[in-house]
Amino acid sequence: MSDTASVASSEAHAHESKFHVFVQLAMVLAIITGLELLVIYMPLAIWLIITLLMAMSAIKFVAVIWVFMHLKWDKRFLTVLFFIGTVIGSGTLWALLLVHGAEASTPIGPAYEELG
Amino acid sequence: MSSTAAAAGHIDHHHDATTTTGIPHKKLFMWAFLASDCMFFGSLIATHLIYRLHPPVGTIDPRDIFSIELTSGSTFVLLMSSLLMALSVNSIQKGNVVTTRKMLLGTIVFGLIFLGGQVYEFNHFVKVGGLTLSNDVFGSTFYTLTGTHGTHVAIGVLWLVLMYIRTFKPADDSAGQGWILRGLFHFLTFTALVVFGMYTLLALIHAFEMGHGFGYYFSHHLPSFTGSLALLGGLFWFAKPRGAVDFGEANAIDVESMGLYWHFVDIVWIVIFPVVYLLEYVVLP
Repeated sequence: MSDTASVASSEAHAHESKFHVFVQLAMVLAIITGLELLVIYMPLAIWLIITLLMAMSAIKFVAVIWVFMHLKWDKRFLTVLFFIGTVIGSGTLWALLLVHGAEASTPIGPAYEELG
Repeated sequence: MSSTAAAAGHIDHHHDATTTTGIPHKKLFMWAFLASDCMFFGSLIATHLIYRLHPPVGTIDPRDIFSIELTSGSTFVLLMSSLLMALSVNSIQKGNVVTTRKMLLGTIVFGLIFLGGQVYEFNHFVKVGGLTLSNDVFGSTFYTLTGTHGTHVAIGVLWLVLMYIRTFKPADDSAGQGWILRGLFHFLTFTALVVFGMYTLLALIHAFEMGHGFGYYFSHHLPSFTGSLALLGGLFWFAKPRGAVDFGEANAIDVESMGLYWHFVDIVWIVIFPVVYLLEYVVLP
């Protein structure tokens, strides 16, 4: 009887602490979003602004999947499964950007020529 | 077995010993789907960026039409909806149906606010900015990317509404399938309230924008205003407690699967917001 009560009590505590973790994370995410807005108006080098934006976006992305989506508490297999999709998706994105960013890929034709 | 466990509150929501992987099937399916959706959105974002890096002559400057304040507000709303969704899952894992309903309703409202912002944004771009799906390559890639995301949000809202109504299924089987009919009317009331509510809210905003005030609004839009109030009353009536319900901790996996989808919609926006909107103010031509 007391064991049951003890298990129930510890589970209630775990849920309660999750509640605080969720609320705190949401506040952190809101602050990071504010920082993203701030960064684009700061007099910094473009490469630094882009790096900061991508880093903050990555932090928010990982925080949401790790805590809100419970990957922290779930089996590692789910993390691996999701990152397979993420790596293929972002890899495709970078590959396409590199291919189309090459000089030989610069589009030509009337639509891309400045009017006299 | 599961209902006994549910009553005791001892369900392990992260592992399932009855499956070969040790992971609940619904959760595994949802993660596999989300992984495939990552590839889908990766391609859409790549397509948008490629065309933005090579804009044709005379293309519209997005900075002329973007409203960074509106988009930032939408981003904040979507983030907060993710918090409510997480709290909803947390509540149902404790078997707290009433709190779950409140959190689901909050998520629905925030999702609708995000969608309303997107409708306003698209309307503004077309009517004021002159940007359509086909008159500019920027319009084609922008509307395809953000429109696909918006469609995901809309599907998520529909799923949330259906889950909310599902929480009212009575535990007493002797009531037969009458709850399905009541659930259908509940859904119709919800849908009608969203449509009428948005219409009456937009009419109110429009009346104030034109400098007419409440007098003009009530003389022209009284039926839609009273209709919205009546529908809101209907929603309260449907939500009235009618005894025990067949929804509890054992259904946590259903709410969690839906939550995974909703959070995914949020993380896609976490990528779209800086890449599609913020970068325009920094580097894109």
